[in-house]
Amino acid sequence: MEYWKDTNEPITAFVKLFEEAANDNELRSGLAKVNQLIWFDYTEDGPDCSFHVDCRDGKLDVKAGKPADEPDLVMSLSADDAHRSWSNKLNPVMAITRKKIRVKGSATGLLKLAPKLKKVAVIYNKVLADLGWQDKIMK
Amino acid sequence: MYGNTGKIVFVDLSRSSVAVESLPEEYYRKYIGGSGLAARVFWERGDFSADPLAPEAMLLFMCGPFAGLKMSGASRSCVAGRSPLTGHWGDSSCGGHFAPELRYCGYDGIAITGRAERPSLLLLEGEKVVVVDAVEYWRQGIEDVNKALKQRFGRGCRSLIIGPAGENLVRFANILNEGHHAYGRAGFGAVMGSKNLKAIVARARSREMLLADPEGFADLRKELNARIKDALASQVIRENGTAANLEGGVYTGDVPIRNFTSNFWEEMAEALTGSALTEKYLTNRAACAYCQIACKRVVEVAQGPFAIRKGPGPEYETIVSFGSLLGSMDLAAACKAGRICNDLGMDTISCGSTLAWAMEAFEKGDLTLDDTDGIPIVWGDMGTVVDVVLPRIAAVQGKLGELLAAGSVSSAKRVGKGSISYTTHSKGLEAPMHDPRGGGHGMALTYAMSPRGACHVADPMLYFEMGACYYPEIGFEFELEPKSYEHKAESAAISVALGAIENSACFCQFADREISIPEWVELFNTVAGYGWDSDEMMRAGRRVFYLKRLINHRYGLTAEDDTLTPRLLEPARDGEPQGITIEFDKMKERFYELMGMDPVAGIPSTETLSAHDMAAEVAEM
Repeated sequence: MEYWKDTNEPITAFVKLFEEAANDNELRSGLAKVNQLIWFDYTEDGPDCSFHVDCRDGKLDVKAGKPADEPDLVMSLSADDAHRSWSNKLNPVMAITRKKIRVKGSATGLLKLAPKLKKVAVIYNKVLADLGWQDKIMK
Repeated sequence: MYGNTGKIVFVDLSRSSVAVESLPEEYYRKYIGGSGLAARVFWERGDFSADPLAPEAMLLFMCGPFAGLKMSGASRSCVAGRSPLTGHWGDSSCGGHFAPELRYCGYDGIAITGRAERPSLLLLEGEKVVVVDAVEYWRQGIEDVNKALKQRFGRGCRSLIIGPAGENLVRFANILNEGHHAYGRAGFGAVMGSKNLKAIVARARSREMLLADPEGFADLRKELNARIKDALASQVIRENGTAANLEGGVYTGDVPIRNFTSNFWEEMAEALTGSALTEKYLTNRAACAYCQIACKRVVEVAQGPFAIRKGPGPEYETIVSFGSLLGSMDLAAACKAGRICNDLGMDTISCGSTLAWAMEAFEKGDLTLDDTDGIPIVWGDMGTVVDVVLPRIAAVQGKLGELLAAGSVSSAKRVGKGSISYTTHSKGLEAPMHDPRGGGHGMALTYAMSPRGACHVADPMLYFEMGACYYPEIGFEFELEPKSYEHKAESAAISVALGAIENSACFCQFADREISIPEWVELFNTVAGYGWDSDEMMRAGRRVFYLKRLINHRYGLTAEDDTLTPRLLEPARDGEPQGITIEFDKMKERFYELMGMDPVAGIPSTETLSAHDMAAEVAEM
């Protein structure tokens, strides 16, 4: 991995990102509309490198690891590309076309949130700063 | 011959005569089919001195080699000839159900000249082709005529019909299949109208097709149909239609607002986007023949001033043309405007763009109440557009109808007062609803280079810049930044060739994106037995592009015409692309160089033509 020293680091940052995003009304209501159990699968970097977001039925639960229930949507990519993506430095369409992101299940709802990546990136950079990882912030 | 039938129907309506001719097999290998083959026939047999609406003008309908082969995305065909809107080469592609039926009748295409004495229709019943009286359908809307033709010729018949706009020679009149699928652009509905040809009806008797390698093709089709169906992009547009990404487009600056004066309107994004259409008005999804994507919408607006009963719904282009482009975020109004245009037979892009120009002209005082029969043409006033203006345009009624029925460029030239400066076109064809300043600067280049005029489906540059394409086999590995000129000329040189292949093969651009270059080659070889490799296939694509450039040259077009109007090139005023300038001249110069084209004449050099086996065309020049 180019940006992370172990598989705990990315999951810590990404879970925290979603927890912070939940405080933003626009992002929270956007995720509520997605209404899916989503598994962000980075296991190509290690068996424990993943987290899931359960935004079904108005919930917004974020936890490390694979969900117990069968996910509605699985997004598989590397933890480095996930970092680029949350930093708004990865074109999601291009990443899907070039198989950097593999999608299983309906991603229609989640892709609707793609225009909000700019806002997500601002929150993500703050999360990285709060964690003392300024060196990971992408310019 | 494999894949293609090799047979074209030549119809002279003045004499009510029909002749079936076989084209040389070499034409298919060199020009593929669809708009490429149409260009070759037009080059050889078209009357270049004929006005587009004169009896001598040739109107062509052509299938690609895959029509009728039960593949997702392969049921398109093209119409082509001299455009009455632009005065030079035009072609337009249509999905739906006509192409397979024409192929099942045993034909690759139809070439029509002459003018029938009375309103007529052309009837193909299997291989039998006759001209039939159609006076009873004249002056009727497309929806009613479609129903009447099905009643008369059977539910299985497939038809191409013009509306009153085509009969009245509106310069952007279109032609509809099944009342839902349009040959939208370049005004060929008016050409049909000028020939007194209300409809073409096809009813096949057999479905036999001869393929070069039926088993190889069947295996490939099975794999591609499944992949096209499951692709993420297919899922997205199946669920929310072609406007699925409208909201995303607003944030990048791709969606034009108020005649391209702006490209950011956040509130509108949510109101007009595809999911809003799904939630509010969608009743069913529909598809072209054999397509697994099903991007078509069937909608109903139950109540309100724009109520419409269940029927064909708007696509992205129509939603924006009758939405944000006119300063409206009323989705019901866009649905109704689209429905009216479908019934009257008018291209929603050119119609919306002409109205947008008129609204700006009215706001600036360049167009006055005296010009508009006392009707104020005001931003966002969709009631007036729907109830008053669209019917007047289709009927060419009054000063307003007569003015706008000619399209935005002719209207602006007539009004003067500098109003040409805020038209939005290239080569006389109004730009589609993707703003190149935000959507991608490469699109500015390909809009300008497109032989028919500003067009987003002449080639896949829109998808290239979006990041949806990766073709290492033909050198397209660029990671493009949309709002930059870098690698755009190089990308465009690939894109125009690939676009010519797709449009000559009559394939849908949504399905195309799932097909790799080696698979394209295999498709042509298993179906038509062309024996191509990827180099030969790309050469055929460039050849088609070059031939259309030669046709335009005969109409007097030069490199000077390869441009966009100032409105489309000036820095965007707001949103994501605010202040960014398109480096158009740099891209254009490099594109000519890469394509081996003369930077003054705008046509391929003799060496370039020779390298593409176009010695015959050189001699004929």
